Amino acid sequence: MRVLLVEDDAMIATGLTTALRQAGFAVDWLNDGHGAHAALQTTEFDLVLLDLGLPQRDGIAVLREFRQRGAVTPVIILTARDEIQSRITGLDAGADDYIVKPFDLDEVLARMRSVLRRAAGRGDSHIVHGDLRLDPVTRTVERGGVPVAVSAHEYSVLEALLQRPGAVLSRTQLEDRLYGWNESIASNAVEVYIHGLRRKLGPDCIRTLRGVGYFVPKT
Amino acid sequence: MRSIRARLVMALIVVFALVSALAAITTYRRVLDETSTLFDYQLRQMALSLRNQISLAPRIEVPPDQGDTDFVIQIWDLFGSRMYLSRPGLPMINQTVLGYANLTLQGQPWRAYGLQTAAGVIQIAQPVSVRQRLASAAALRIVVPLILLLPVLIVFVAWIVGHGLLPLRRLTAEVQRRDALSLAPLVSDGLPGEIEPLVAELNRLLDRLREAFAAQRHFIADAAHELRSPLTALRLQMQLLDRAPDAVAQREARERLGLAVERSIHLVEQLLALARSEPQGAPTNAEPVDLSAIAAQAITDTHALALSRRIELGLDSPGSGSPGALLRGDPEALRALVRNLVDNAVRYTLPGGSVQVTCRSAADGVWLEVCDTGPGLDAADRERVFDRFYRRPAAQEPGTGLGLAIVKAVAERHGANITLGDAPGGGLRVTVQFPVAP
Repeated sequence: MRVLLVEDDAMIATGLTTALRQAGFAVDWLNDGHGAHAALQTTEFDLVLLDLGLPQRDGIAVLREFRQRGAVTPVIILTARDEIQSRITGLDAGADDYIVKPFDLDEVLARMRSVLRRAAGRGDSHIVHGDLRLDPVTRTVERGGVPVAVSAHEYSVLEALLQRPGAVLSRTQLEDRLYGWNESIASNAVEVYIHGLRRKLGPDCIRTLRGVGYFVPKT
Repeated sequence: MRSIRARLVMALIVVFALVSALAAITTYRRVLDETSTLFDYQLRQMALSLRNQISLAPRIEVPPDQGDTDFVIQIWDLFGSRMYLSRPGLPMINQTVLGYANLTLQGQPWRAYGLQTAAGVIQIAQPVSVRQRLASAAALRIVVPLILLLPVLIVFVAWIVGHGLLPLRRLTAEVQRRDALSLAPLVSDGLPGEIEPLVAELNRLLDRLREAFAAQRHFIADAAHELRSPLTALRLQMQLLDRAPDAVAQREARERLGLAVERSIHLVEQLLALARSEPQGAPTNAEPVDLSAIAAQAITDTHALALSRRIELGLDSPGSGSPGALLRGDPEALRALVRNLVDNAVRYTLPGGSVQVTCRSAADGVWLEVCDTGPGLDAADRERVFDRFYRRPAAQEPGTGLGLAIVKAVAERHGANITLGDAPGGGLRVTVQFPVAP
């Protein structure tokens, strides 16, 4: 899961980035409105955490433009503005959730999962596909009720593919889900994770479309 | 405190009494004058009409006057013996004066007219009191209605004043209802012209109060808002410390927690410094201080930071032998001013640059100048850098956005001027000019 964090306070951003990476997210951090606007135009994110009081361009303006382009990517506003009017404006501008600083880290993570769940059209927080069952909170996988040990990156790849079963994701798309801009990636990393998953879950769980990418067949 | 109504009524009574007295005196004198002329004429006419009768019957026994006239008639023959006295009981004057004369008889003033005829002398006399009585009566006729009118006037004036003061009472009630939260201007419609300036002044005062309160509320809201960020960082680092997976992450989290605590402390200190320097008016702790000594101290405080950023930090001041740059001020506040200026300059200057502080005393005041070799400020930023919590969009340095607001507040309290200019090295030059100590 790739998250864009737009926050002008370096201390908060560093802390959040660390926490989100620990929770298995790939995090990109930007500290101003212009940069956020540009990044949202060029990169696909699964979730955006947006501060409102940004230098150069206000978070609300960035959000409005993002939504006007028809983008449906979930956006959570993280801000110190706690007035009712500000919350209403934020939600009406297209935010999926609104969290006021100082926030609790666990609450932020729970709200992120909740927003992601709704974006994927699921009510239950678990991702179920055939006899596979993924728990995004603990980031664990069960097959037919038996736990399967997967690494954090393997989990991320599986989760990405299970978001929309049948849809093909290229290697680059998968890498984007796994890593932020500044993280170095081994060229064959995705292949390694796919291989690992096939070994643990069976060779047919993830199919390859030669020259295009990978997909999980619909049940 | 005496009411306007009582004052007016008192004044009215006094004026009325004076006017009445004046009217009475004038009337009395005029009537006295007129009656005197009239009676004098009558005295003479009587004397003239008696002239022929003396010659006709020089010694007739005229029955004495019964006392219903005021006139006393005396006739003397040519030898000076009295032929006739109209009121025998009266010890009349024996001497005769020809023409008009004022006489005194038994302590009473009389008016007399003597006429020389061929047969003797006729004298007609009349007590002056008759004339005075007439004049008094006339004066009384003028004064009595005036005095009777007075109570009516008093009631009328009291009512007019009461009516005229109604708007004042309404205003009092309106002011009574006011408190710190209802500072809207008072309604001045329909107020008498005399009260309107008072209401206008009150409204100006309410305006200033409202502004001051709004500024205060704004400041508290800003401060509370700004406190959220360091507190968020604090809580975040604490939770990260809790969940740190290994010793390295734990140490890192603890370090960052320490930084977050330092940052909160710094913000609170800056807020306090600003709150102390905000109140208007002259500095409360004004004492003679040497600005160059304060600058030296501020530079010592910032020395470590400058060293870590490889920035050359220097002070150019009158030196130890000279009297220094003396001015009257609050040393604590001035230290905050210099420290914030130097701190800002050091933070925004790239490593390897220099920050030069100059302090000098001139005829036109005491000057403090801080020049850096940083990126400088564009025009838009120059207008806003003194605003509370304003941080430059590109600002990467941690800061509260309060430093220059403190500088401005302290400078204003000391009546000093701040100028932002370009430093010779291409950076920012901040000049603070303090007025000459009185």
